[in-house]
Amino acid sequence: MSYQQTSYYTSRRRQNWSRNQNTTRFVSSVKLGPVAHTVLVALMITVLGLIYLTQATRATGYDYEAQRIQSQISELNDEKADLEIENARLTALETIKDSSVAKEMTTPSSTEFAQP
Amino acid sequence: MKFELQKGSRSRILAIGLLAIAAIFVVRLFYLQVIQYSHYVAQAQAEQQKQFVIPAERGMIYAKNGDEPVRLVMNQSVYTVYADPQTVTDKDEIVEALKEVAGGNLVEGFADLLDAKESRYKILGTKLSRTQAELLKEKGFSGIGFQETSQRVYPEGTLAAQLLGYVDTENEGKYGLEGYLNDELSGVDGSLVAVTDVSEVPLTIGNKNVRIPEQDGKNVVLSIDRSVQSKVEQALKDAQKRTGAKEVSAMVMDPNSGKVLAMANYPTYDPEKYYEAKDVALFNNNVVSGTYEPGSTIKTFTMATGIEKNAVRPSDTFNNTDFIKIGDWTISNATRGITGTISFQTALEWSLNTGFVTIGQRLGNGTSITPAARQTMYDYYYNKFRLGQATGIELANEASGLVIAPDDQRSSEIRYANMTFGQGMEATMIQVASGFSALVNGGTYYQPTVIDGYMEDGEFKQNESPTPVATGIVQKSTSDTLKSMMIKARQSGFPGVDKSGYRIGGKTGTSQVSSPQGGYSDDESIASYVGFGGSDAPEYVIMVQVSGKDQIFQGARDALPIFTDISNWMLEYLKIQPKG
Repeated sequence: MSYQQTSYYTSRRRQNWSRNQNTTRFVSSVKLGPVAHTVLVALMITVLGLIYLTQATRATGYDYEAQRIQSQISELNDEKADLEIENARLTALETIKDSSVAKEMTTPSSTEFAQP
Repeated sequence: MKFELQKGSRSRILAIGLLAIAAIFVVRLFYLQVIQYSHYVAQAQAEQQKQFVIPAERGMIYAKNGDEPVRLVMNQSVYTVYADPQTVTDKDEIVEALKEVAGGNLVEGFADLLDAKESRYKILGTKLSRTQAELLKEKGFSGIGFQETSQRVYPEGTLAAQLLGYVDTENEGKYGLEGYLNDELSGVDGSLVAVTDVSEVPLTIGNKNVRIPEQDGKNVVLSIDRSVQSKVEQALKDAQKRTGAKEVSAMVMDPNSGKVLAMANYPTYDPEKYYEAKDVALFNNNVVSGTYEPGSTIKTFTMATGIEKNAVRPSDTFNNTDFIKIGDWTISNATRGITGTISFQTALEWSLNTGFVTIGQRLGNGTSITPAARQTMYDYYYNKFRLGQATGIELANEASGLVIAPDDQRSSEIRYANMTFGQGMEATMIQVASGFSALVNGGTYYQPTVIDGYMEDGEFKQNESPTPVATGIVQKSTSDTLKSMMIKARQSGFPGVDKSGYRIGGKTGTSQVSSPQGGYSDDESIASYVGFGGSDAPEYVIMVQVSGKDQIFQGARDALPIFTDISNWMLEYLKIQPKG
């Protein structure tokens, strides 16, 4: 029977151990060279960059949405203003005077007041 | 001597070369990124950041409809359509579409402007409505652009035009309220500094975006009642037809607050099309800007001064010969024949100049208008009734007029004799009406005003009750006496013109006009009337003026009927109940 050693046990007695010090340590069997390290760092930077870009793009997307809503508000305000003007024109004295109802009205020959 | 390359020298030279190149790069980068940092940052910001103006909306102007504010001046977005002839491609289609959609708004020869390839900006049409602009935008023509601007619109048409003034193409208020309150109505533009994309859409990236919000102009509510204003304008129009006068003006005010209910002139203009006015004089509001020698309407002030100083009572008498001599000058009456011993009440009824010069003399030593009498008159005319000084009403181009002080070298007995019946001095209609209001309301002078409050968040915030400028300028008993005299004068001189059961009084005025050659013109006179109406107390004061270059008018004949027309209407409009 054979086995592969994956971890090492170091006896306390084999070193100058002291209180609160781990008596075992893990040593990975995967060894990374300098190229792998560089690639990993580059990948991490790329991922971070992509995250930043995603966020920035999302913020810009909100800007376009805000701009679209702002345009809508502006357009609706213009429409509201136009309607208010139309309303004011329709209720203007000149319009009322020229209305068919007003033309049918006559001036009273006399006015009397009810006594309180 | 022979040079030999040592072993490995090539790679060393290459290394040195590369190092040198790298050093150049480093130095260059250091120069660009460190030394020139500010320069390139500024350049980048200039490229990426844009500054936008956030225009403030000009405040609207409201009139009153009873107690309710109604819109008199509003804002509307309109569009200017322009072309960049260098990028215009389908000219025929553009011309066709513009004619179809915006025919009435196009400038003359707009089609030819599309061929002006040397220019990058040609205006094809102005004041297009939003709908028109949208229709054209949908067509997506190359080289055609739109510019949004705001313009004033007047739903009530020409109503109160000269009181309102107008707003020019630079968004500057001119004349009237627009001119006087330009800053208050304009508001303050805001600004936005932001990073933008290629379409100039502001983005929130970056930490240097700055937004300063705009402050819209105030929405002003006038004390002008649109029904009263409309009635006054109609009365003036009718009067102009009847008299043929070149200019007719009138105003109505509440004597118990100084609030102006109506102020009008005829002929007038359309403030929406102010540029079509044929004469700039049409922009003037004669009520506040036109000075004139007020004439016999001032006799009420002279009478009040005499009563206040115990120099005269209505029943006191004097000997009228239709002439009175002041030094080398002779003053005569316009109406002659009411001679003999007559009362000052009669003098008022017949508007006899001699009677009022006599009051001036009785303010002095009885036979002449002494310096002390002149000082008394000046104190009442100028300091108390505030004639000859601007009232401070919120309208542009208010004139001040002129009352010569007794210590002025132009002062003389003859001048003050003339002043007793309103000549030799200058005032505006608003001054006479404001002083007259104080005379009939018991002696309280209110500054005339056309502003009743402001609209804030859609709610009408009325100004607090006006504080009197001065109280007790005449005693209440003097005020009552004067009112009785004027009511009596009106009833005896013009019986039956007023609705019965009301207390209506007033005074006519026929003013001479200075001639350019000196003295007074024989070919021109101004008619005026100032009066009050109400039941127990005066509820309105109306001032009317009829004038015109080289035209002769008389107060009783030309101005009084306008007062009567408006006054009888006011009694019903204000629902004033008659007494007895």
